[in-house]
Order: sequence, then C-alpha cells, then structure tokens
Amino acid sequence: MTESIETPTPDGETLFGLEEMELNFGPQHPATHGVLRLKLKVDGERIIGCYPIIGYLHRGTEKLFELSPFFQNIPHTDRMDYVAAATNNLAYVGAVEKLLGLVVPPRARYIRTILSELQRLSSHLLWLATHAIDIGAMTPFFYTFRERELILDLFEEYCGARLTLNCMRPGGQPYDLPVGWTDRCRELVDLFPAAIEEYGGLLTENRIWKKRTIGVGVLTAEKALAYGVTGPMLRGSGIQWDLRKAMPYEAYDEVDFDVPVFHNCDTYDRYLVRMEEMRQSTRILDQCLKQLPEGPIMGKRPRVLKAPKDSEVYHGIEGPKGEIGFYIVGDGKQQPYRCRVRPPSFYNLQVLPDMVEGLLLADLVAVIGTTDIVLGEIDR
Amino acid sequence: MPQVLIDHLLMPVLKIGVVVGMVMGVITYLVLAERKILGFIQVRVGPNRVGPWGLLQPIADVAKLLVKEDVIPRRAVKWAFVLGPCLVVAPALVIFAVVPFGPPSTVTGGEQNWFITDINVGLLFVLAFATIGVYGIILGGWASNSKFSLLGGLRSAAQMISYEVPQGFTLVVPLLMAGTMSLNGIVMAQYEQQVWFAFKFLPLGLLAFFIYLVAGIAESNRNPFDLPEAESELVAGFHTEYSGMRFALFFLGEYANMIVISAVAVTLFLGGWLPPFPNVGWLSFLGLGLPPAIAGLFWFTFKLFCFLFVYIWFRGTFPRYRFDQLMELGWKWLIPLAFANVLLTGLVKILL
Amino acid sequence: MSAVKRLADKILLFDLFAGLGITFRNMWKKKETVQYPEERKEPAHRFRGMFRLDEDRCIKCTLCARDCPIDIIYIDWHQELNPETTKKEKVLDRFDIDVQRCMFCGLCEEACPTKPKSIWLTTKTYELASYERWQNLYVDIDELQEWKVRPQYTDEEVT
Repeated sequence: MTESIETPTPDGETLFGLEEMELNFGPQHPATHGVLRLKLKVDGERIIGCYPIIGYLHRGTEKLFELSPFFQNIPHTDRMDYVAAATNNLAYVGAVEKLLGLVVPPRARYIRTILSELQRLSSHLLWLATHAIDIGAMTPFFYTFRERELILDLFEEYCGARLTLNCMRPGGQPYDLPVGWTDRCRELVDLFPAAIEEYGGLLTENRIWKKRTIGVGVLTAEKALAYGVTGPMLRGSGIQWDLRKAMPYEAYDEVDFDVPVFHNCDTYDRYLVRMEEMRQSTRILDQCLKQLPEGPIMGKRPRVLKAPKDSEVYHGIEGPKGEIGFYIVGDGKQQPYRCRVRPPSFYNLQVLPDMVEGLLLADLVAVIGTTDIVLGEIDR
Repeated sequence: MPQVLIDHLLMPVLKIGVVVGMVMGVITYLVLAERKILGFIQVRVGPNRVGPWGLLQPIADVAKLLVKEDVIPRRAVKWAFVLGPCLVVAPALVIFAVVPFGPPSTVTGGEQNWFITDINVGLLFVLAFATIGVYGIILGGWASNSKFSLLGGLRSAAQMISYEVPQGFTLVVPLLMAGTMSLNGIVMAQYEQQVWFAFKFLPLGLLAFFIYLVAGIAESNRNPFDLPEAESELVAGFHTEYSGMRFALFFLGEYANMIVISAVAVTLFLGGWLPPFPNVGWLSFLGLGLPPAIAGLFWFTFKLFCFLFVYIWFRGTFPRYRFDQLMELGWKWLIPLAFANVLLTGLVKILL
Repeated sequence: MSAVKRLADKILLFDLFAGLGITFRNMWKKKETVQYPEERKEPAHRFRGMFRLDEDRCIKCTLCARDCPIDIIYIDWHQELNPETTKKEKVLDRFDIDVQRCMFCGLCEEACPTKPKSIWLTTKTYELASYERWQNLYVDIDELQEWKVRPQYTDEEVT
C-alpha cells in the first residue's frame, strides 16, 4: 500500500511535476456494490484511467448449467442477479421453453408478468437506495427498503422465498397465486405512486442531487450501442429500445405502457428513466391484475425435459438492468450441452472506464451507482 | 486561601472543569441524539438496546472505543499520527472559554459571571482557534500513509480554509452591529439594542446568519459538506486508518466543533442567553419565572439544541456536494455575498 | 413570470426545503422496525424453511435426492421382510441432509410423489444460525423427524 506505484505522466510535465497515483478502489469498498475492483490512475482527484477487475464472485454457473437437468438449473439463475431473481428465472425458462417448444397457459403468462414487474420495482428500489447513498443521501435508502419489504413479502407469499425465488418452471408456473394475493398486490400498486413521489421529492428537484448527476458520466448513444449497453442505461442515452415492446414476451403485448426515453445521456437522465419505469411498472401491474385470466397454470410438458438434438436457442428479456438472455445448446440430453448467459450488468460495466475518464473521484461512485451493476451476474 | 487565589485560580479551574465536563457529556449524548433522530427520520427506532431507550448507548460506545486495539500503521508518521486527533479536539474545547453561557454578574447581581472568561478580542480568539482544527485533520490524513486518508486530508485542507473566509466575514457583521469584539459584549449589545442580530438591518443580519450557518456546517465537515469523510467515496476519509480512542478523538472533535459553531452562532446572531423579547413586558413569562441566570442558561441551551437539531436534520436529508462544487459555492457565492454584506452593514450603520 | 419564479426558487432554496419537509414528516410516522428477538414476523404459509420428513409416508423412491441441484440429500435403504404383513418393505438406513449447503429451492419437496408430501420445507423455521460450523447443520433422519434441537413451529403442510 505504501510502496508508491507512481509512474510519471507520458509527457512528464505537469504543473508541479507530479506523478499520477494509483488507487485501488475496492473490492472492499462501500461504493462498489459487491466485489468490483477498480484500479484507478488518479491525478489528485481526477481520474485518468480506470481498469475494472472482475471475477471475485465467480462460481462457474455456466458450467454448472451443463451438469444438471433443465429444471434443476433454475435455482442457479436466482443467484446470478440476486436482486432480480424472477427476471432471471423468466429468461431461463423462456429459453428452455423455446428450445423444447412448450406452450405456457395464459394465466401462467400473466403471473410471470406480474412477478417480473414486481421484481423490476424491487430491483429499481434497491438501485435507487444505493445510488442515493453513494451520493450521500442516506435517507432514501430506508424509504425504498420500506416499500421493497412489501414486495418481498408478496414474493414470500407466492413462492416461499424472498430473494432467491425459484418461482418459474419450464412450461408454466409451479404454484397458483395464494388466496387474497391479488388484493394485497393491488394494495401495493395503489400505494406505490405516492411512495415514488416521496423518493422523488427528496432527490429529483434537489439542487445538490442535480449538481451531482447532471452532466456526469455522459454516455452517448453511439457509444452505448457500440458497447452493447441495454436497459435503462440505453434509454437514458436517448434510444428507444425495450424488449418488452420490441419483442413482446409473456403478457407484455396485452398491456399498455410507455417506454421512458431521455436524451441528455447523463446520470440524472438515467435516474429519471428508472423513476419513470417504476411508475410504468405499477401501470403494468395494475392492468395485469385486472386482466388476470383463470385457467391452468402449467402447460403440457413431457415428464422428462429433453432438448432436441442439435438445437440451439437464444431468448432475451428485458430485465431491470437490461437485456438478460440465455443461449442454450441442446444435444438430445436432459442437460444443456452449453449454456451461455448474457448478463446486462457485464455489458453495462464495460462502459464504465469510458464514462468516468476525466471525472473526479466523487463522480466515480455516482457513475457506478447509475450503471446499476450486480457482481453476481457479472462474474457468474 | 486569599481571595485573589480564589478569584483567579480556583473559580476558573472549577468553571473549566464544569464546562469541559458538560461539553463532553453533551457530545456523547449528542451522538445518541443524532442516531435517534436519524432513526426517526428514516422510519426506524435507532439505538434502543442498551438501557431504556438506548440511554446507556454512549457509555457502551465509549467503553468499546477505549478497549479497542489502537493500531498505528507500520509506515505511518508516528508523531503526526498521534498529534492529529489531539489537534482536532483541543482547539474546539478551548473556544468554550469565551462563550457566555449565561448573564454576567452585572445583570444577575450575583457574584459570578456565567462564562469562563471575557476577552475583549473574543471574536478573534474564536477565529484563531477554529483555524487550528484543520491542522489536525490534515496531519492525520497525511500521517496515516494511506491514499484514501491523504485525499480526505487534502479535501479538508481546501474546504476548511476556503470556508473560513466567508465565516470570518460574517463574524464582522455582528461586530459592526455591536461595536465590540467581546462575545459577552455582543450579547449585551443585543440586549441593549433590543434585537437579535440575525434580525437587525433585515435582511442583512439574516443573510450573515445564513452564510455563517452554511460555512459553519462546512467547517465542521458535516453533511452536505462532509467531503473529507465521504464514506461512500473515501471509505472514511482522513480517519480511515484510525481506530480505538484516536478515532474517538476525531469523532469527539467533529461533534465539539458542531457545538462550538452552534454556540458561537447562538451568541452572535440569536441573542445568546437572552430569552426571546427580553424587553417586552407582557412576554416576560418567557423568563419562566426563574432567576435570570438559570433562565439564561435554559435559553442558551435551548437555542443550541435547536441548532444541533438542524445539523442532524440536514444530515438526514441532503446528498453530498462534490469537491469542485463545494469550492464553487464557497468562492463564487458565499465569499462575495459575505463581503457585500459586510460593506452594506457598514454603510447602513454609518447612515443610520 | 417563470423567470422570476425560477430566480425565487434559486434564492429561496425551495427545493431544499421540500426535502426537509419530507424528512420532517417522516419523523412522526410509525416506525417500521421489527424488534426481532422479541417480535417475529410470521413467515408466509409457503415459506421455505427447514426440512421435515415423515418416514412412514416416505416410499424411499429417492426422487428428492435425485432432483436436488447440489446433491445434498443422502439416502441409503435396504429391503426387509415385514413379519406382520409378510411383504418386502424398503427400510431407510440413512436419510441425511447437509443443510449447510442447502439453498432452499424446494425442488425436493416438489419432486416428492407421495400425498401429502413426505418431505416438506414449509415448517416456518428460519433460525438456523449456529456458532459451530457443523452444529445443527448436518441433519440425520432422527433430527429431521423429531426436532430436538430447534424450536418447533407449525408444520402446516402443502396440499
């Protein structure tokens, strides 16, 4: 630590003839959201270079997928993006269903839509909490967790777990909604807009918040596309791309919602995108609860799920953080021959060095917060 | 014992002991109050396990800090590392020497003044000692031999020195209004002029008060200006490498600074120990029917605690400024405003 | 007009006061804290907690062990002649669960073919922490059935 790894600047000439300092940011750091390690080159507080180092949470999930039958892999997907287990489940079972040609009954599709929107809300709440606390406002953390708790209670009631849900199966849903669940979900939906206003009241118009976020971490549309950035990050850069609209899955083509897009490409706009997405999620939930059909929850499926020979499939859905996709190759066995995950956080993290170059150290935490990464799915 | 010894040795020492003891007590419970109030703001209950309503929590905290291992990093500069925390606490405590907690003997007609001493350059004394505190933080940050500490120390150096300028300027405003530098004299002037200086020459007094408040929060490194610590950016800033009692001293220093700045603000702008409207007859019940000394003490502490509450409330509400924005606010807004304020106050004073 | 309003906003710090108002209002709201050891939230009926096994119902098919994604259920059985019914019956030698590695996905319960299930997680038990690494976290058949070491909660079964 004390051995300075300082190297002179390439041209060797700064105002005081000073060198750069190398700063290890993480993996144990309050603002790196897990175990992200950033090797920073800083000149004073200004960041000259940023090199993310990942892999501290690597568990070989993709290899594990190859070892066990399709349905046994669902718990593993829970543990990738551990704050958005339902959407991970959904992407995985969606891919398996595509591979095996299973048809999901309408009620199950609606339940899945409700679950994934609840999950989006809970993930965005966690993002808002940590983003705000990174920028120094600690109170929104507790307000968002107050509402997140209600969402987790709903999950617990539905499938028995709060975080690692394991709540979907290829072909349908394992459980039907418990008695009274829709009413409690409706209560939550009714309560939510006011709660979002409360968080917004603390942050949206606050001049300090604006100063810290406007113009910080600019990600132009071209760059975002070039890096394969998806989700709110992309929509904050002014590109209207949402898989729920572009390639509707489950019940998304039967509900009406808007995709918020903002054009300033900075942290503040990404904040606005996610806040608006939360409002839209409540809209979707509202409609889903109204339209929820009766009927079976599990479609026809073979007793043993076997992939066809030489089959491959990619299925991506719009997770809270961006496009989460599964690419599965089948070779006629019960297990996938190969399963490759496309985690949104991994692609969103790639732009981090580009976004923070030339910013101050304090902006770095704001930008890490706005990328909304979960190291569980980056390292897998 | 000769009277001269009693007057010049025994009583001052007693007073100092009482004041320092009181301040320490207030600090420990201020920490508890902060945690409680933050808890309430954040819809939780705060510490409530140690003693009823968590009232023994500060004692538990202190005991924990005392028995903790005191680590000095191997390559730290030892003397500076040790000196840093002391340099933060001591000046903050010294300032209490000139703060009048209650009325002087001329008002109460009693034997004793309710302050330790009354220097005729009290304001300068406050400024001088408030400035020393920054050395402790810089030394601590530099001596730790950690990059995060160093950055924290750098930040605090820039921040505290910048904000001393507007703070110093605003202190001139009550000085002009009162015509004396003695803190006790300033309170007496507010008594005689029948107005708190925050409300004199509206809006000039109020503006000065506001600038002092902002600069004071920045001086004591509190949210939204807590950049030197900035737990989400610099881990813990200048005290990253400190542990045990040395860390506690930094902690103590921060809270002592808060109290000092509040006490000075109350004295200069909010009438110190004066009850509200001391000269309005029908409002004399605000003296609470107590002897003037006790009532003065009550009103002083009441105002002080209101101030401290505002500090904590701010901490629970606002995000943190960025370093360059903080400098911008200080140099581009507060200093010109404070300067103009002083000029205008002088002008008004001459014209009236 | 709007310019005046903007200026007033800028000078009078309305945005900051709005935030202060929100925090001040919340200060008087009901506290959300659950004082854990004294008050506990009742888990939902489907809550996946600690296991329970009913040996009589169990048909020793080992489906649960086979469906476990991380293979932590260990079952050994042998056949024995029941003297009363003169039929061959499967008898469990060993039914161990290494709860330390369990991720409570509930697939074992889902795989169980008996009705009602002979292995189930809906015991509403979640206090599994222990001071020792191996204490209480490797359970054998007796522990699974008798719950000597843990507080017993309602063992409502999934129908």
